[in-house]
Amino acid sequence: MSNDNNAQYHDDVVLRLIQFSIFWAIVAMAAGVYLSAELIWPTIDFSQPWLSFGRLRPLHTNGIIFGFGVSALMATAFYSVQRTCHVPLFGHRLAWFCCYGWQLVVLLGGLSLLAGWTSSKEYAELEWPFDIAIAVLWISFGVVFFGTLAIRKIRPIYISNWFYGALIIVIAMLHIVNNLALPVTLDKSYSLYAGAQDAVVQWWYGHNAVGFLLTGGFLGMVYYFLPKQANRPIWSYRLSIVSFWAFTYTYIWAGPHHLHYSAIPEWVQSLGMVMSIILLAPSWATMINGIMTVSGAWQKLRTDPALKFIVLALAFYGLATFEGPMMAIRSVNVVSHFTDWTIGHVHSGALGWNAMITYGTFYFLIPRMAGRELYSTRLANIHFWLALAGTMLYIMAMWAAGVSQGLLWLSIDETGELGFSFTDIMSSMAPYYGLRLIAGLIFLTGTILMAWNLYMTMRGNKPVRVTPPAVDPMYEVKA
Amino acid sequence: MVERTLANLPVRALFRPKDAFEALAGSDPSPANVLLRYSVWLLILPPLFSWIGASIFGWRLGATEPLYLSQLTLVRISVGYFLALLFGFVSTALISQWMAKTYGASESLGRHFAMVTIVGSPLALASVAHLVPDVFFNVLVLIPTMIWSMYLLYSGIAVALETVPERGMLMASSLVGWLLVAAVSLLGLSMGLWVMGIGPLLGV
Repeated sequence: MSNDNNAQYHDDVVLRLIQFSIFWAIVAMAAGVYLSAELIWPTIDFSQPWLSFGRLRPLHTNGIIFGFGVSALMATAFYSVQRTCHVPLFGHRLAWFCCYGWQLVVLLGGLSLLAGWTSSKEYAELEWPFDIAIAVLWISFGVVFFGTLAIRKIRPIYISNWFYGALIIVIAMLHIVNNLALPVTLDKSYSLYAGAQDAVVQWWYGHNAVGFLLTGGFLGMVYYFLPKQANRPIWSYRLSIVSFWAFTYTYIWAGPHHLHYSAIPEWVQSLGMVMSIILLAPSWATMINGIMTVSGAWQKLRTDPALKFIVLALAFYGLATFEGPMMAIRSVNVVSHFTDWTIGHVHSGALGWNAMITYGTFYFLIPRMAGRELYSTRLANIHFWLALAGTMLYIMAMWAAGVSQGLLWLSIDETGELGFSFTDIMSSMAPYYGLRLIAGLIFLTGTILMAWNLYMTMRGNKPVRVTPPAVDPMYEVKA
Repeated sequence: MVERTLANLPVRALFRPKDAFEALAGSDPSPANVLLRYSVWLLILPPLFSWIGASIFGWRLGATEPLYLSQLTLVRISVGYFLALLFGFVSTALISQWMAKTYGASESLGRHFAMVTIVGSPLALASVAHLVPDVFFNVLVLIPTMIWSMYLLYSGIAVALETVPERGMLMASSLVGWLLVAAVSLLGLSMGLWVMGIGPLLGV
């Protein structure tokens, strides 16, 4: 784990993680498309338990979050921390262990979900053997990342590293605490928590996984790759620091908004609601910082299709971070909760924000790593419009379905009886699910186009070797 | 000049949008003139159609039984709908003008009013679908219309507001962000009002 002053950046591991990320994106999105078809034609599970909605759905969510999302976050964290510290990765063999170990966990974990192993905790369904493996790998990720920071040659710690650092620390804490359980057999364990306490811990985990992984981690991506792509510094560095601390402090309290009108104390629900609303401020501060940075780099749009993805990702980030706090208000939540509006909200974030920002970053990274132009700018532009159309169609269909469900489920007649039967309402949702299926297919097609475009760009090439540049003496770490 | 700029604005927005955007470039129409002559009449259409449709047929949200509301409730909802659209229209034009400096676009407020009118015209006219108050039918009509409106926004903003196409693209994306937020606010506001007792009878 020693470092040579003339060593080059370790980008092989970055490239491999990007390849895995794209692979899992296609697999998990295809699972999502199949699931959306099952909601229209329930018999297409062919009575196979492993194809049933209950098993395929966690494969979809875990594949996207841990396969696609975390692989992309590891890749971009490893890439950017080297460049912001002006040193190669600390313990690059450990980085390879993280890379392949993580893929093995996603693969075997996915198969275990299809086999019916589940802890039944949403987004934490994997059973205890996988939980232990994830903890070990995550801590290894932390050792590589913080080790690189520790040996940095440049004194200030750039803002992207604060976000990646928060991602690593908070996710480790959430994962370990939420998955504390008593194993009974290899495939079954029981949580240490029970009842309402279990629910509070679960949603403290669940919402902060959204917060620190799907938001904070990807903000780390934005803060490094957006200024690089725009070729100009971030609009306000001070605002980025203020929003980081406001974000970190506020997010951790917001989980109870998933448990409105449940058995947990009302003051806990109110606290979750208020903190969710406050969260709008740091979220939008970041969005404005991003938009103002990119607005000065408009000339780049002529030649760089990747920038379009980032611009749009920021717009959807603005939408999702407004929609979330609004849905956390109890008088809205009473109608919206359990409806397809929630699914639409999640996908405005997952497709519009997470996937778009990742695609933009990959379109930036791969040509640079290959040392040649992108194979086809036209294909990238087609991908952009497919991604936009798919996301818009998805969220519009789910908005309409969700509002209809919320209204019909709660409608009562003059005698106080429910006006509509649950099964009638759900069977009438098929047309919206049809639109969602089309939207998913459009988005998946765009992702496959990107995979082909990036494969053709990289084909036959190894990552360009880059040596860390000299550090400005003003900012150098003094021995 | 003002007359030529504004003449038959909604019709040109539908059939010759490029011409409408080009006519706007270099002009400085009065915001009040645009609002009172064109925009407000377009904004009245969606609540009017939805009031007529819901009165006669009842809202069909997918379940078998249509949902009928009392006339008082319908009038309240329609007035609220109009006010929300009016607020959305004016705020979008003001935000667009506020963004103009960042993107090197014209800061003439009247031009922003006219541009938002052109972009919103297809949606306002397509709200005739509210006469058939079946939610899925409305979704089927309004989603393609919305895509057309977005196309108008992206293709017309740089022409009408006289900025370079790349900066126009960035400005259009920022406005799309705002419009998505406005749309989702309308959903949240509606639900808040329902829970307060204004709207359908809900068991909450």
